[in-house]
Amino acid sequence: MFEISLRNVWIVAKREYRERVRTRSFLLSTFVTPILMTTFLILPTLITTSTARGMFRDSGRPLRIVMATDNPALAELARGEMSREWGSQYNLSVDSSVSNQERQQLTNQLDLEAIDGYVWIDGDARTRKEVVLTTRRLGEFAFQQRMASALSYAFAAERLVKGGYPAGDVAATLARVDVKVVRSGTSFSAFNALRGAAVVLLLVFIMFFSLLSYGVMVMRSVMEEKASRITEVLLCSTTANELMSGKILGTGSVGLTQMGVWIAMAAFAASRSVYIRTAISVLEVAPSVLLYFVLFYVLGYLLYSAIFASVGAAFNSVDEAQQWNFVIILPLIAASAMILPTATTPNSMVSIVSSIFPFCAPVLMFERIAVHDPPAWQIALSFFLLLATIGMALIVCGRIYRVGILMYGKRPSARELARWLRHG
Amino acid sequence: MPPTVELERIRKSYGGYVAVDDLSLSISPGQIFGLLGPNGAGKTSTIRMMIGITEPDAGVVRIFGAPISRAALMRVGYLPEERGLYRRMTVRANLEFLGQLAGLSIATSDQRMEAWAERLEIVDWLERRVEELSKGMQQKIQFIAALLHEPELIVMDEPFAGLDPVNSMQLKDVLLSLKTIGKSILFSTHRMDQVEKLCDSICLIDRGRAVLTGGLSDIKSSYGRRFVQIDYDGDGAFLADNPMVESLNDYGNHAELQLKPGADSQALLRDATAALRVRRFQVMEPSLEQIFIDRVTRRDV
Repeated sequence: MFEISLRNVWIVAKREYRERVRTRSFLLSTFVTPILMTTFLILPTLITTSTARGMFRDSGRPLRIVMATDNPALAELARGEMSREWGSQYNLSVDSSVSNQERQQLTNQLDLEAIDGYVWIDGDARTRKEVVLTTRRLGEFAFQQRMASALSYAFAAERLVKGGYPAGDVAATLARVDVKVVRSGTSFSAFNALRGAAVVLLLVFIMFFSLLSYGVMVMRSVMEEKASRITEVLLCSTTANELMSGKILGTGSVGLTQMGVWIAMAAFAASRSVYIRTAISVLEVAPSVLLYFVLFYVLGYLLYSAIFASVGAAFNSVDEAQQWNFVIILPLIAASAMILPTATTPNSMVSIVSSIFPFCAPVLMFERIAVHDPPAWQIALSFFLLLATIGMALIVCGRIYRVGILMYGKRPSARELARWLRHG
Repeated sequence: MPPTVELERIRKSYGGYVAVDDLSLSISPGQIFGLLGPNGAGKTSTIRMMIGITEPDAGVVRIFGAPISRAALMRVGYLPEERGLYRRMTVRANLEFLGQLAGLSIATSDQRMEAWAERLEIVDWLERRVEELSKGMQQKIQFIAALLHEPELIVMDEPFAGLDPVNSMQLKDVLLSLKTIGKSILFSTHRMDQVEKLCDSICLIDRGRAVLTGGLSDIKSSYGRRFVQIDYDGDGAFLADNPMVESLNDYGNHAELQLKPGADSQALLRDATAALRVRRFQVMEPSLEQIFIDRVTRRDV
């Protein structure tokens, strides 16, 4: 009805901010999250160090695997390869019989848990380049991969020797090639090292949870004002638009404060400890990644908080709003499901489209920027669509908010919401 | 001076439901105005349009002689029907916040809230959280919030609801003192006793329509002296059949009745003395409550 009074927006935002920052949950999440973050970063490193490796093995006992084969020489080659690469992690024995009775006997041993599994390598397996591992320990993926590569080595070595290749050169010829990744100077990709990847994924998850939790915070705050009927008092001296803007800005500033505190804590820790300074520099996250993080966080927050504010206004309780909440959260859930596929295949069609889709862009376009420079036009397009969607959301949700905050009583139906939209 | 509030044929519907229909009223400066009506009559809807929270579908709202503007609304204080304060904030923080939104500096709102707290005897509660306060206490805070910016028009939706007799008296005194310094006050209620004691003018609405508007004394006298109380001994059955009686409440040896328009109370007295032993016969001005009930129940006839 009137133009926006910035003074009122400021007063509303200030109150919102002060009240939120003082809550116990804010203090808790601000100071506990860094501990969790540090744990997440340190844990993977711990797991890969050799001293810790033992902790993650089944009661320290090596896997007992029998290789049943009609070609013991081949099996010995594979066994040698396994023990050269993985030491005493696996207890491999060679059984030179592939009769049906032998198979039955191995199965019995498996049932008695005398062995953990057996690999069946008969002539058929050699021609089909496929062996069968019978085991109850279906989760031993590392073993499966290692066994496959050891057998590939053995098959290749056998063929080389048969073809007249000097037996002494075989091992050197078949030695595995490693790929070492080095970051290019112009790229701000952080995904070139395991630790960099961990940081990026962590940031992506923080983005996801922040958007969700601050959006819900706005919704609850609107519901609280509606339930306590203070909205009516406020509307006498402010407008619905000022209230909504103030609330969104105030709560959003709380989120930014939280991140500010985290950055300050990291900076303080770095200034005090050489170790942490090194640790942070090793993470190899370019400053531009943090910049994009803040940018996408702000935009994503504007979009989701506007929507959540209108839901808070339309309904009288969290229970009532549940069904709509689900609809709103759906794109965020879809985005969270895309986090890992996007990390591994950032340029697949699905990754590109979902990162440009405005409701997923804050999470997924940020992730793509961080893991792999997407083409500039894709970044620009996602920004443009995101901004346009925010504009739309503010108009549409502003209308629902304006009508909703004065509607008490029964839950509005979808049709009523549509009418508010038209007449709001 | 223009009327403080002027509603001209306003109408508001929510979906298919008409909350306010063709309602007109006018409040003069320095007047206490009562907006009466049964629950669901449209009082709150009317008030919301008066202070710009909602807009009428049709009709004109003017306050201080002009269409509603932000500047005009800064001169209005509003006490909503349901008490609205932030429960987890202190009383002081609540009042500072609302005072700021009403255009005051923090210093001014502090100064004024302290003066009011002194007057309403709640100084000790300023630093407490709202959720620790009793309902009556919260209402006082709400009341202060509505008055902090010294508005010229004070709009109160059911201000006496939930107050004990002592607090009601305190509120009544404050309202009267505000009136003496020239403020216009509108309050809605369904409690007639307060209206009779306080109001200069009233508007009785029912089902969204005004059924009675004007000065309180004019309304009462125009309604005529048609209410009669009789204390008697004997068989009062003849009263029910009497053609002069429009409605009757017979308690056996005490009857309250309303005469038909144009009926002569003296004629009824003669009939009564002929049939009964009359101990008391009194012709009265109707109480507002009787008018209210009469008007509201008559719609069903």
